[in-house]
Amino acid sequence: MKIIATKEAFLQAIHSIRANTLRSSLAALGVVIGITFVILMGWVLSGLDKAMEDSFKAMGTDVMYVDKFDWAGGKSWKELRNRPNITLDQTEKLISRLTSAELAVPVARTNRGKIVYGNQVYENIAIQGTTSQFSLTPSGTIDSGRFFNDIEDRMASNVVVLGWKVYQTLFPNGNSIGSTIKINNVKYTVIGVATKQGTTFADFMDNIVYIPLKSFLGTFGKYRRNFSICVKAGSTDQLDNVRAEVEGQMRMIRNLKPWEENNFSINETKTFETAVSTIRTIVWVVGIGMTLLSFIVGIIGIVNIMFVSIYERTKEIGIRKALGAKRYDILIQIIFESTTIAIIGAFISFVLTSVVAYITATFLPKLIPQVGFLSPMIPLDLLGIATVISIMVGIIAGLLPAMRAANFEPVVAIRYE
Amino acid sequence: MDESLIIKLDNIIKRYEMGENQVLALDDISLEIKKNEYVAIMGPSGSGKTTLMSIIGCLDTPSSGTYYLDGENVEVMDDNELADVRNRKIGFVFQTFNLLPRENCIKNVELPLIYAGVKADQREELAIQALKNVGLEDRMFHKPPELSGGQRQRVAVARALVNNPSIILADEPTGNLDTKTGDEIMKLFHKLWQSGHTIILVTHEEDIALNAKRIIRLRDGKIIDDYVNTHQILIEDQKNI
Repeated sequence: MKIIATKEAFLQAIHSIRANTLRSSLAALGVVIGITFVILMGWVLSGLDKAMEDSFKAMGTDVMYVDKFDWAGGKSWKELRNRPNITLDQTEKLISRLTSAELAVPVARTNRGKIVYGNQVYENIAIQGTTSQFSLTPSGTIDSGRFFNDIEDRMASNVVVLGWKVYQTLFPNGNSIGSTIKINNVKYTVIGVATKQGTTFADFMDNIVYIPLKSFLGTFGKYRRNFSICVKAGSTDQLDNVRAEVEGQMRMIRNLKPWEENNFSINETKTFETAVSTIRTIVWVVGIGMTLLSFIVGIIGIVNIMFVSIYERTKEIGIRKALGAKRYDILIQIIFESTTIAIIGAFISFVLTSVVAYITATFLPKLIPQVGFLSPMIPLDLLGIATVISIMVGIIAGLLPAMRAANFEPVVAIRYE
Repeated sequence: MDESLIIKLDNIIKRYEMGENQVLALDDISLEIKKNEYVAIMGPSGSGKTTLMSIIGCLDTPSSGTYYLDGENVEVMDDNELADVRNRKIGFVFQTFNLLPRENCIKNVELPLIYAGVKADQREELAIQALKNVGLEDRMFHKPPELSGGQRQRVAVARALVNNPSIILADEPTGNLDTKTGDEIMKLFHKLWQSGHTIILVTHEEDIALNAKRIIRLRDGKIIDDYVNTHQILIEDQKNI
């Protein structure tokens, strides 16, 4: 019996909304704005997440960097700066002693590279000196040409592998292999191009060139240089074992006493993720705050319209009650109506945001390459969340007017003109 | 309790608070109405006849006194139970018709069946049958604003009948109609009475009340007269001769 009345209440709600199209669409406007906010925010964040994840994958989820500095932040800059540099000697010791890792490669790096090609000059490029084995890490994957080999390592050959962004900037027409570029006034021959690593969002990862370690030390000097060691565990299951060994060996190499803290950091993509998730949370909290505000406005809008609607239909409600409608029947009819308005609002937002997402993701990256992480499709789970939110908004907005209407005295309401 | 009794009011009192003043709308009303009676409740405005009709129709509850409707004690019921009783036992016909203007005749007549939980196809069947009974089969798909006053009141009568209620409660049913259409509606009520329905008519018009078989007169919330309408019986006797 309840089911029949409920179905009828639903049909009534549709009927009533169609009879007052303009009023209902104005009421839905607040919800449209709110849901649009939620979806667009979620869309941007999910794009960012995807970009981040891709970057982590490119870096390698089973890779850790033993470094003087800590990537995750949270430690005081002063404390980090006062740590001793990781010397070449310590680097070589660690690499030779590690047994559990699949691979351990020394890395030296400067961000003050200056590259000259023809009459083009680029400054502040990351220059990384490493060994041929770096080609076995995800970051060292080659797109075209080849990575430098063991012999070139030992000979300190002046050969260079370009990061994707450097390649694109210097050689927009392609065909870089064999060209000569100058790195801080020393001539290098381009022998390969590394695969694109970061997404456009994290494109600093591609703004780099790789040269043999010995060549690097020749050009940039080895005195007081700080090294880091790229350790590849082999698989993510091995991470804990390898990390434990790396930590133990480093402490031994540095003669740390049991009560002394590590004066080096072991950085993993995971530590990065923690830092990123903090940023995400902040974005969400700010975004949710703004969304909440627009929902409050949306709810007030619907509440208003519903109050107008029930007073306008006082007589109708009186008639229904006189003919046997119970409180529940009236309650459910009004709540259905407000919920339907909210859902219609949500669907308008779906269409709106889908169009915005498609157009933005298709055309905007051509103007601003940094937004290339945006997807042309709104993720489905976001639409699901938005639907649930709109239903909740509808129920909340309908509750007060519905309770008022359900409590109308039939004997008074039926005589209302 | 007497099986043939359909309404039994005992010492019904209804008070309204008007600011600091109390208005006594019904003052100790006791009344019994049997099945298949045709009763007119009469009185000038302010006599309490509308209040009495609201209480008999379970739209309102008395301040004190007991009310049995078809054997059920009404005054102990809550809002939802009253709604249920109205739905099952009472067919309302109002002076202002009280139809839903946006719905067609069938939908209007279906309304009590929706709240009784009758399924859609069965509802439509019953509604069409009720509309045929009041002679509106060719107007079923029209909406109330497209109908004349007499036709609208006949839709209301069909709606009152569709749930097969114990009593039909008519509040000034001809008040908004001209004399000719009013007479047609009264003939309809007569027909319903003949087919076994209990009819309670609230009116202030003497000639309308004369259609009933029993007349109850109210003044200042009290019953001042309750008698068999010999006039109507005389007319019928004449017809029989």
